[in-house]
Amino acid sequence: MPEIRTLSEGVFEIIKDKKQLATRNLDPGRTVYGEKLIPVEGVEYRAWDPRRSKLGAMVLKKFDIPLKSSSKVLYLGAASGTTVSHVSDLVSEGAVYAVEFSARSMRDLIGLAARRKNIHPILADAGKPDSYAHLVEPVDVIFQDVAQPNQAEIAARNAARFLKKDGYLMLAIKARSIDTVANPKQVFKEEVKKLEQAFEPEFEILTARDLAPYHEDHLGVLAKLKNKTHLE
Amino acid sequence: MKLNAWFGILEIGEDGKVLSADLLSKDVRELAQRSLTLRESRQDPPPAGFDLRAAALGCGFIEFPAEYDSLLHEVALEAVKIQVSASLTPDQRIIQAVEALDDINETANSLSERLSEWYGGYFPESGLGGEALAFFVAKYGSRENVGPDNPLYAKALDSMGANLEAEDEALLRGFAESVCSLYERRRQIETYIESSMERIAPNLNLVAGPMLGARLISIAGSLEKLALFPSSTIQVIGASKALFKHLRSRAPSPKHGVIFSHPLINTAPWWLRGKIARALAAKLSLAARLDLYSGKKDPALAEKLEEKVRQIRASNSRPPQKKPESGAKPGAKKKRRK
Ligand SMILES: C[S@@+](CC[C@H](N)C(=O)[O-])C[C@H]1O[C@@H](n2cnc3c(N)ncnc32)[C@H](O)[C@@H]1O
Repeated sequence: MPEIRTLSEGVFEIIKDKKQLATRNLDPGRTVYGEKLIPVEGVEYRAWDPRRSKLGAMVLKKFDIPLKSSSKVLYLGAASGTTVSHVSDLVSEGAVYAVEFSARSMRDLIGLAARRKNIHPILADAGKPDSYAHLVEPVDVIFQDVAQPNQAEIAARNAARFLKKDGYLMLAIKARSIDTVANPKQVFKEEVKKLEQAFEPEFEILTARDLAPYHEDHLGVLAKLKNKTHLE
Repeated sequence: MKLNAWFGILEIGEDGKVLSADLLSKDVRELAQRSLTLRESRQDPPPAGFDLRAAALGCGFIEFPAEYDSLLHEVALEAVKIQVSASLTPDQRIIQAVEALDDINETANSLSERLSEWYGGYFPESGLGGEALAFFVAKYGSRENVGPDNPLYAKALDSMGANLEAEDEALLRGFAESVCSLYERRRQIETYIESSMERIAPNLNLVAGPMLGARLISIAGSLEKLALFPSSTIQVIGASKALFKHLRSRAPSPKHGVIFSHPLINTAPWWLRGKIARALAAKLSLAARLDLYSGKKDPALAEKLEEKVRQIRASNSRPPQKKPESGAKPGAKKKRRK
């Protein structure tokens, strides 16, 4: 019998021959991107490939994952839903607002969302949160993976509108999308600084780690809103 | 203060409490249409931190919390379906056609090579290749079927090729027919691109020609993106690998984007190509913007470009004395002088 360890709420490590990250499948019998289904004692798990998912890599890099079964999540840069599917598994009683601006990716995401009631797909530019403000409620977590040069600003704009006071921002920063030639370490430093002070609201960085070897030249960031009560 | 929520129009007080609500009916299609309108207009969005779920429950739009999720889910899904089906615009269809054309070319070339290698064992003297060979094999099969009125008759008679037996002949003929139909499909796609380009991008079509124009749209991603590119970018579109190398390693900046297949450039002497490319890129950029914003064809565009090229040619009729453009690859200099 494989052994199952809980890494954080809804995130498991199944130990058989080797270790395998997994979530509990909310849509039993179905795989989303060719991942393995692993039944253990009547429960079906889905293997979570950290090389295909930055959130998965963040789990293995020992980030505290602030997702609970009841969490509301705003997911920016949903693409065809590889990671969104695992977030959907995690927040089984909550909701994922999945924003993506490529119609082609949305075509695939629709197939996923149609089968999972907690995914609310939105085809819009994450840089214009006003355009989906009529749809999105305040959220516990913003997860962002848009691979855009202005990602810090996008994060701030969305956090200003949708992030609860005690909510968390999780961000994957791709060095090459900011600057194709500069040294990634330098790019990361500058991006973190932008998150801390370039826009309103400002963030307090809780964890920032390179996502190698799962993703080259990517930085994972966990942050919350800077506590400014002393100013008020 | 008035605000637009996906389920209705709300009036809220200073404290954020809902004063009154104009609720919509729970018709998924209508709610989705309205959501799309709001997405565009961004009119009166709820203030930051506004709790839509609590408001929907508070005003009685929904009866129990889970209904909020199920209805919102359906509305969001319906809205994105409408958007996705509207996203297959005419320029996107052209892009699909251009990409299919590239795939067909690649396949037709590799199958033609296979046929040439294969049939070469039976009639190596034919001197045919590509579509001509495919047509020949599909029609005659064995060289013994070539009649005296065919120009290849004599060669077929004393060919050193092996004897083609019935079973192999059937195989080769079938294969050749497939190759022929690929070439036919290629022409069909080209015709489609030509007529579509004239309809959706007449100015680009005029300046670039249908194939180059379509390719520019394809590489840019859409007509709109192409129109928004600065002309310096249009000049190097399609040279992205070289461009990347240039940025990373100070390699010479690329001058050879896809626009170098344009007759005004590829027939020009080497020392004029950079200059003409710049002039052409500027006109292409203008043409794409005209197509995007007005859609009306401006015949003067082509004349102005030709006039500009005449000027360039007239004032630079001799090659410069010193070495050619710094962008030339080492070792490529001699070739380019030809
Ligand atoms: C690296 S992919 C995300 C992969 C995804 N997070 C996963 O792990 O499955 C980045 C995505 O962000 C989308 N994107 C980029 N800029 C965006 C924007 N401004 N608004 C919405 N989506 C955007 C891209 O279309 C692309 O699909």
